[in-house]
Amino acid sequence: YPLFQLGGPQLRIFRPNFFMLAVRPGVPQPEDTVQFRVSMEMTKVDIKNYLEKIYNVPVAAVRTRIQYGANNKRNHKNQRVKKPDYKVAYVQLGQGQTFQFPNLFPEKEQDAETRSFDDFKDKYMESEKQRQKGDPRRGGVPDWFGL
Amino acid sequence: MAAAVAMAALCRRLTGALRLGSAAAGLRGLTQNLFHKNLTKAEPLHQLKFLHTTLSRKGLEEFFDDPRNWGEKTVKSGDAWNIKQLRGKSSEDLHKLWYVLLKEKNMLLTLEQESKRQHRPMPSPERLEKVQKSMKNIDLVVREREIALRLLQTGHEKPVPGEWRHDFLGRTYWYSYKEWPIPWYLNKKYKKRKFYYLPHVNHFIRLRLEKSLCRRARRKNLEKTRQKVLERKFPHLAVKSQSQ
Repeated sequence: YPLFQLGGPQLRIFRPNFFMLAVRPGVPQPEDTVQFRVSMEMTKVDIKNYLEKIYNVPVAAVRTRIQYGANNKRNHKNQRVKKPDYKVAYVQLGQGQTFQFPNLFPEKEQDAETRSFDDFKDKYMESEKQRQKGDPRRGGVPDWFGL
Repeated sequence: MAAAVAMAALCRRLTGALRLGSAAAGLRGLTQNLFHKNLTKAEPLHQLKFLHTTLSRKGLEEFFDDPRNWGEKTVKSGDAWNIKQLRGKSSEDLHKLWYVLLKEKNMLLTLEQESKRQHRPMPSPERLEKVQKSMKNIDLVVREREIALRLLQTGHEKPVPGEWRHDFLGRTYWYSYKEWPIPWYLNKKYKKRKFYYLPHVNHFIRLRLEKSLCRRARRKNLEKTRQKVLERKFPHLAVKSQSQ
């Protein structure tokens, strides 16, 4: 970005490439708070302007923190694999609005293909279980015991 | 990243103009077909009321897909935007398209994260790649236009002037000038950087050159041997040179 000095022009970005995604909060948050994962370079002011100008959402307050991604998992070459860092923003909506994170995977009625596949799978599992069971005359006693 | 006032005005015009189906050329049907060209399910724009209505309730719903698509296994989407198609669009159209694609990308990323959280497969993940490709293409087209304008107005191709410099390892690279509040002879960090190399580096430059030449020769020979193998296997498909 160009250098800013006192009295200089305000920085304007005409095609921002910053992403912002809404996440379901792990810890229950108050009604008006929405949790986002934002690009690491965004500031609180940036997030406020982004939401207000692009999404037309009134924002009262923004708090951010950076989540460190762990670096202690190892791959098949015993090299450390880093999980990426990300910035989390807690945005409180203005004008008394509330937000509940919706359920994006509601139960939908399956089509004929999946239903038939599920039936086939259930039948197969039942037949397998029947084969695994021992002689019914032994009354559930395993074969390990003699006689 | 303070958004421009012009951008805000554009956004407001976007909501108003598109709903009203204004006479601006090519804006009809732009809302639905903007992020997916050749969308199979084009929602008809018959809400041609003369009231100004916002696109969706306070906008937080734009982080999520159409509620009818929640829980589906696949969501149909068209192809990504081509560079040739984008070159025909005006700058205003490209600007609006950029924001539509940005919102779509945010929506898809939200969906991806939520599907990871719920341990479910994300419906149609190829949409993300399409959106990223479209955004890259828009960037390229805008850059091309900027370069053309700059060449006409100033005669310079690059936005920032620069020059070829050596680094301390003998490599040559394009150094673009940076903006500093103080001149270079007062800049301690800059003075520590060395844009020259000492004579003992010449040996390593020669080795590097030899390595690159070796690699190039190896690649060429590999190509030649592969061609020979193919010609031996399929002699009837050999390219007959013009013999006259």
